[in-house]
Order: sequence, then C-alpha cells, then structure tokens
Amino acid sequence: MATLNINGQTMDIGEIDPSTPLLWVLRDELGLVGTKYGCGIAQCGACTVHLNGAPVRSCQIPVGNLTDQQITTIEGLAAADGTLTPVQEAWIEIDVPQCGYCQAGQIMSATALLRNNPNPSDADIDAAMSGNICRCATYTRIRQAIHNAAEKMNGTAFYDAARTGETA
Amino acid sequence: MKFIKNDHLTPELPDFFQELAGKRDFDNDVDNDGKIGIPDVSRRQFFKISGIAGGGLVLGLAMGSSPKAKAQSAANLSTISPYVQIQPNGRINLFSKNPECGQGIKTGLPLIIAEELDCAWEDVDVVQADIDATRYGAQFAGGSLSTPMNWMAMRQAGATARAMILAASAQQLNIPVAELSTSDTMVMHATSGRSWGYGEFAELAATMPVPDPATLTLKTRDQFKLLGRRFTGVDNHDIVTGKPLFGADTRLDGMLYASYTKCPQIGGKAVSFNEDHIKSMPGVVDAFIIDQFGNPKVFNPGGGDIFSGVAVVASSTWAAIKAKRELEVEWDLTDAEVSSWSDLVARAYALQGQDGEPLMVNQFAGPGNPPNRVSADKGDATRVLANAATKLSSFYEYPYVSHAQLEPETCTAKVENGNVEIWAPAQIPQSGESGSAVLLGIPAEEAAERVVLHQTRIGGGFGRKLANDYVFEVVAIANRMQGTPIKLQWTREDDMSGDYFRPGGFHSYSAGLDASGNLIAWQDHFITSTGNDQAPMTSADINPNVFPMDVTDNVKLTQTMFHNAIPTGPMRAPSSNAFAFSFQSFMHELAVASGKSHVQFMLDTLGDPRLAIAENPQSMHTGRAASVISEVARISGYEQGSSEPGRAKGLSFYFCHSGYVAQVADVSVSANKEVKVHKVWAVADFGFIHNLSGAENQMEGGIIDGISQLFNAKITFENGVIQQQNFHQYPLLRMPQAPELEVAFLQPDEFSPTGGGEPSMPPVLAAVTNAIYNATGERIRKMPLYELGYKLV
Repeated sequence: MATLNINGQTMDIGEIDPSTPLLWVLRDELGLVGTKYGCGIAQCGACTVHLNGAPVRSCQIPVGNLTDQQITTIEGLAAADGTLTPVQEAWIEIDVPQCGYCQAGQIMSATALLRNNPNPSDADIDAAMSGNICRCATYTRIRQAIHNAAEKMNGTAFYDAARTGETA
Repeated sequence: MKFIKNDHLTPELPDFFQELAGKRDFDNDVDNDGKIGIPDVSRRQFFKISGIAGGGLVLGLAMGSSPKAKAQSAANLSTISPYVQIQPNGRINLFSKNPECGQGIKTGLPLIIAEELDCAWEDVDVVQADIDATRYGAQFAGGSLSTPMNWMAMRQAGATARAMILAASAQQLNIPVAELSTSDTMVMHATSGRSWGYGEFAELAATMPVPDPATLTLKTRDQFKLLGRRFTGVDNHDIVTGKPLFGADTRLDGMLYASYTKCPQIGGKAVSFNEDHIKSMPGVVDAFIIDQFGNPKVFNPGGGDIFSGVAVVASSTWAAIKAKRELEVEWDLTDAEVSSWSDLVARAYALQGQDGEPLMVNQFAGPGNPPNRVSADKGDATRVLANAATKLSSFYEYPYVSHAQLEPETCTAKVENGNVEIWAPAQIPQSGESGSAVLLGIPAEEAAERVVLHQTRIGGGFGRKLANDYVFEVVAIANRMQGTPIKLQWTREDDMSGDYFRPGGFHSYSAGLDASGNLIAWQDHFITSTGNDQAPMTSADINPNVFPMDVTDNVKLTQTMFHNAIPTGPMRAPSSNAFAFSFQSFMHELAVASGKSHVQFMLDTLGDPRLAIAENPQSMHTGRAASVISEVARISGYEQGSSEPGRAKGLSFYFCHSGYVAQVADVSVSANKEVKVHKVWAVADFGFIHNLSGAENQMEGGIIDGISQLFNAKITFENGVIQQQNFHQYPLLRMPQAPELEVAFLQPDEFSPTGGGEPSMPPVLAAVTNAIYNATGERIRKMPLYELGYKLV
C-alpha cells in the first residue's frame, strides 16, 4: 500500500495506478482540491505544488515516483492554528484574486521564490512567475503582493520547514 | 432563447434620461421562459419570510409586477429565500444572488445591502444564494448587468431591514423611533447616550410589518460609509488557503468521474467505439454513446442542446482521461462542419471595396420575432463620400478567439427518481436548470420542483459559461448512471476545441472628411458568418449604433454572410471586443489624415454634449465620452509624445455596456518588431463606483486581456476541425509581459453604477496598435500581431 508525505503527514493512497499524476491523487483520492487542473501539459501552473521545497507542476509527476518525497500543497502553507503566511496575507490585503482559480498555483510559486530570495526584484519575479498563467490577468497585483510579502518578512525566512517536514 | 440586451439602462436614471426612458417597460425584457429579464424595481415588494432558529429577522424579495404574481409570492412566503438574516448574536448573513466568476459580485451586491442596513462590514457573513427565480428573479453573470440591475433592489433590501429593526427597537425600548438612529450594526439613542446591537431586536423585528418601499429613505451618496471605498473579495481567505469553492472542487459521497469525447470535426455523431477495450481499462465503470440533442452548434443556454459523443465513467478523473485517450470512435460526418478559416479569409479579401447586402439584425430574433432585413443607412454616404475632400478606405481582419478561462468546463450532477440535482459553475444557472428539464423531458411547470441547481464559484467565465453545454452533458451522463453523482471534467483540449468562440470577421471601411478635417461620411461592409443563411451566428452581428456611426450624419452599413456554423457565443464585451480594434484603428487613420491631433479629431467627431441618438436613451452620451478621452490624454501626457526613437503613445476610446472607457498605451517597438507595452492609462465612467478595488481589478484585467488577445489569440479551423488544442498553441500573456497600469474613474454625481467587467477591455487593442503606428508608421489592420511578425516582450 502506497503512502505519500504531504504537508508533513503520511497519507495512505491505497493501490493506485503509479502513472497517475500527483494532481489527480491530491484532488480525487485525498480531497486536497486547492491544487487545480488547468491544462495538463505544464503550461499554466495552476497545479503547482512544492516537491522537497521546489515548485513543480503536479500534472506532470507520476505518483509512483514520489515515495519518500516531501510534498507541500496550498493547504499546507498556513500554520495549524490558521495563521497565514506573509504571502497569503499579502494576497488578501491587496485583493489579488479575481476568479481565483489560478491563485493557489501563483501562491506556491511566489512562496518558493521568497523562500530562496527574500527581496526579489521585478526581474526575479518575472523569472519565477512566468510559468503561471492568470487568465483574469491579476499580474500587476501579484507582483505587488510579492513585494509586500517580502516587506512583511523583513528579510527573515518565514517558511517553516519543520512544520511541513521539508528539508531545504 | 432571447438573449438580453447588453446596453440596458439602470432603473435609477438621471433626469435627462428619465423622461426618455419613461416609455420603456423593463418587464418586456423577460424572455420566453420568464427567467431572465430586467425587473422593474419600483414594483418590487419585500416580504417577511419567517424566523430563523433562535429568532431573528429574515427578509426576502418577492418578484412580480402583477397582482397575481404577488398573490402567488405571498402564498409561498415560507419558501422565499432571504437576502438578509440578522441573528440574535448580532452576526448578519447577507445573501449574494448572482454567480461569481471573478467579477467581484459576491462582494459587491452584499456591500450595497450592508450600506443601507447601516451595519459594520466586519459583522457580515456573505452566503451564496441558491438558484430560484421565484425568490431572486434573474440570477446570471452577463452583460455587465449584475450591479446596475440590482443596485436599487439591494439598497431597498438593506433599508427595509434597517427600518424593521428601528421599529422593533422603538417598541422594545419604549422610545419614540424618531429619537433612535443607527450606525455600525448598532441602534443609538442620542438623548441617553445608550446603544444596543441589532441582534437584541432581531426576534421582535421579525414580527414588525414590512414597510412600503415608497416610505424608505435611502442614503445620499455623501452619507455612504462603505460604498465608494476599497473592499477585498469575501472569498479571498478561502482562495489563498485552497478551500473547496469552485465547480471543479465538488465532491459527493459515491461520486464517479466522467470524461466526454466529441467529434473533432464539429457536429459529427458517434456511431461506435472500441467499447470492449475501454470497458476493460482499470477504473472504468461504464462507457457509452450519447446522442446529439437539439442543435448544439447554436449558442442556446436554456435549450438542453448537446453534441453527440462518448462518455467514459470511471473511479477517478485520471482513469476517465486515460480511457478517453485510448478511444477509437467511428463518426458519422453527415452533419459535420466543413468550413475552413483560410477559405473564409480568401473570400473576404476578394470583397474589399465592394458593398454587401442590407444589414441583417438578429440580436433579438426568436419565436414570433424573425430576423429582419433593416437598413441602417443614414443620410447619403455614397454621395457625400464621392464629394469628400479626403477619402480613406481600409480593410480589417480579426480571428476567432477562444475564451480560455482557466477552469475547464466541469459540472456535477445526480439524476434519481426523475429528479435532477446539479452543482454548476455557470453564468446563467437558471437556464442550466430549464435546459436540463428540456433535455430529460421534464415538463416546464415541474422543472422548478424537480431540477435543483447549486451555484459554485466559477473559475473564470468571460462568457464561456453562459453556455450550459457542459451542464447538459453531465446531466445526460448522470441520467444513464441513475442514482450516482457524476462529475464531468473537460480537458483543456476539450475546452479549446469545443468552445462557443468569439467569431472572426472583416470590415471594409470607407470614410470621408470635409476640407476642415471633420468626419462627414462612414461606410462599413461587415463580413461575417451564418449558420442558417438567415442571420449571423451569435455575437457575429453588428449594431448600427457603434461609435462613430452613431454620431456620423451619413452612414452606409452593409453585410455579407458566409455559411459557416462553427459555434460562436458571447465573449467579454461581445462584438465590441473586435469592433473596438477595427473601428478605433480606422478612426486613428482618419485622425492622421485630418491633420488634427487624435484627441482633437475624437472630440470634434463627438461634437456637443448630447445623447448620440436622441430617441435612444441607451445610446452614447457624447459629453461623458469626451470627458474620459480628455482626462486620459491629460493623465498620460498623450499630447506631449515621446522623444525616444521607436517609442510612442496611442489612444483609443470605446462605449459599450453603458460604460465609457478611454485608454492610452505607451509602447516601444524594436527593429526586430519586439513590442514592449510599458504602461497603459485608463479613464472610465461607469457612474458611481461602489467598490473601488473591484472596479480597478476589472479594468486591470480587461486591459491585459485585450493586449494578450491582440498579440497572440487566434483559433483556426480547417474542414470543421479546430486546429488549436492547448496553451502551447494559444499562448496567453504572462507576468514578464504585463505593463504598468494606471486607472482612474470619473464619477459624475447623477449616474448610478453600470458594470465594468466588459467595457474595460475593448479599447486597449487599438490603443496599442495606434501606438505602434505612432512609433513606427506601420498601420496594423489585422490581428493577432504575431502573424505580422510582432512579438510581445
């Protein structure tokens, strides 16, 4: 019986076709529906999750390869008591979402960026976020939210590796 | 069905419109099934519903303009859904009636109620209302109408509840009501300095008589405490934490997952498929052919129409998709489309400079209302053009475009014992209900009882989810899987090749200027597509009131229709999204020829402040148009130009959906045609802006949407087969290409709100192409720009 380590917890996924993309295991088997399907070919970024801390497109990763890997989804960002990360706070405060469908993927990409680069330039943001499409075109607010989150972090790492079980 | 007019006026009209609008009966806009229309707010009546658990005030809004309708509503009071619930603990539930697709209405409508209820926004929980026409009237997201259609009704809903709380508090406290006032969810008594929360009076308030709306005093704009400020989306917290919100997130006990595969050549019908193999695949529960119903090539949100296809029902989405990939289907192509875009392009260019047939208007065609040939001509364009001091002719082309909303079509349904329950991310959910009844043969009078639709948040609409084809497909599949909830998930490929597309088209323009450079004649030969050889496809028609035809004395408008039934439907700012590019690019050509500045040419064309068409209160007001143009020129420094080689600003203006938008783009073009859009300024007049953050969001999104389409969006078809399947063939604008944006709103006092979701988008396309002309001298008469060698960087 296969298990995955998701958001710091060991989760049983039963006897599953190992070719199944992580995206569909998250959504259909585990009920973690925050991670979205947008294109299925790694073009849109709506399915972005963290694999060992790095942003990946979960529509392209067969679940059979993921034993002993640390996976973080949008549901795993906030603390157990509900405290949001600075990225999530910034997203709410400047009202980034329109339809909101892509925003989990955007937040996962932005979170990974800020983890490695606490004070990104606009060019850094362009490079890190260019894999995520927002059809409603909230790009200017996403950019501002990332800058605001960086300020909130005040140069210190906010990403709690211990909580998610990830290793940097 | 008849689709509602896009450009209706709000019931609360400024004086000079009021008189003109007096003859208009909004109830006439209710369509055949009575579910979509523009209710006359002045004839609405609020009804007290019932107490809620633990006591409290519940108010519903009953619809109906006839005594009979009111009596029916009154007899069913206990079933009328509330807008306002005030609980004894002081928390307030406000119900948001319309679908949320990113336009911010789930925040916007309750804000209006809260203002007149005089409650603190922090005390409010917003609840998405279920679908019920008898309780809520029309519930849809389209035409940028949610705010204007509900502005007055939501204010009255809040004011009614406030009046009942005041009455209850006066009775309970034994204080004359005149000595009491309200603020921030509190009843105040100035004389004694005491105050009480609304919750203390909720139970008694529920027993108070409902006041006549005519006795309510609504706030004036200067009394607003909430409206006009910035409010963030009420679902933001759930969005950033990944909570289930969207149609795709629906999960039910015992639910199975379905894929649906239609003929690549649009309209082909499934005859047989490799059934044994598909059914042997792991996780596949069943697979079967579904027959075509109705005529799904035609956009018809309430008809139940679906294309024939093969459904695979499986234990997971992935199993359903895997099986879909291994399907081998034999198709009957008898009724399949055979048209090709390349063929239409060649035939259209052969018509350059020629006139077409008199215009065919189909917009409101339906049973008993056949399409008519009407002449849109004014004055004598042919003669005036022949004698004009300056005459210009140009030919413009724009392609089919896909909506490409990020949530591919998805819907969940369960059919059992003749009843249907649906969980849908749909822009016209009421038509999803009525069409499902049609599809399953449920009599219309039983539909409200037997078909229940729960609205979910929509992962992007843009008009795609005005069609309910994916709702009807899952209902058909669930009907075969009686008692089992089925979630249908389209792939992106299903979406991109199975859209009701924005139709492509062509304009052969000629226009004349007098010796002073003033526009005196306009000719347009509009070339479009028809599926029935009688009227254009949906959103493929033209309105003779498009600016500047509405303000030009001599106009000749003709049309040629090619037979081509590739499905089309409304996309954000239907027809305007394409017309703004071609009309406003040609206007800039004329401005250059006139020798005037672009701004001056536009202002001269608009002329004195007035309704463009005196007898038509929905027509453009030239004064409001001139104001946004002048203001965007001012804030962008448009007239100052640029000293940098290859860099220039471009201007554009458009009026649609009762909204006035002028935009200026600042653009650089490199020697190898790389285009950088540095910044876009936008000035809009949508009347009063009640949530500034929401309005800015719509404008920001509309601008970038337009730039994205201008450079990269093109759907083609060859022999009825759509050639683009996914984002690698249909690229959308990404973060590095997003320009800086500056948005401003003119909010003249006398205008109540109109919607901003659609009018925000059209002008920017021509603002960018006019800027490219100003920077390089190259006139762009065809989109997308990548086909002309341009690349957005």
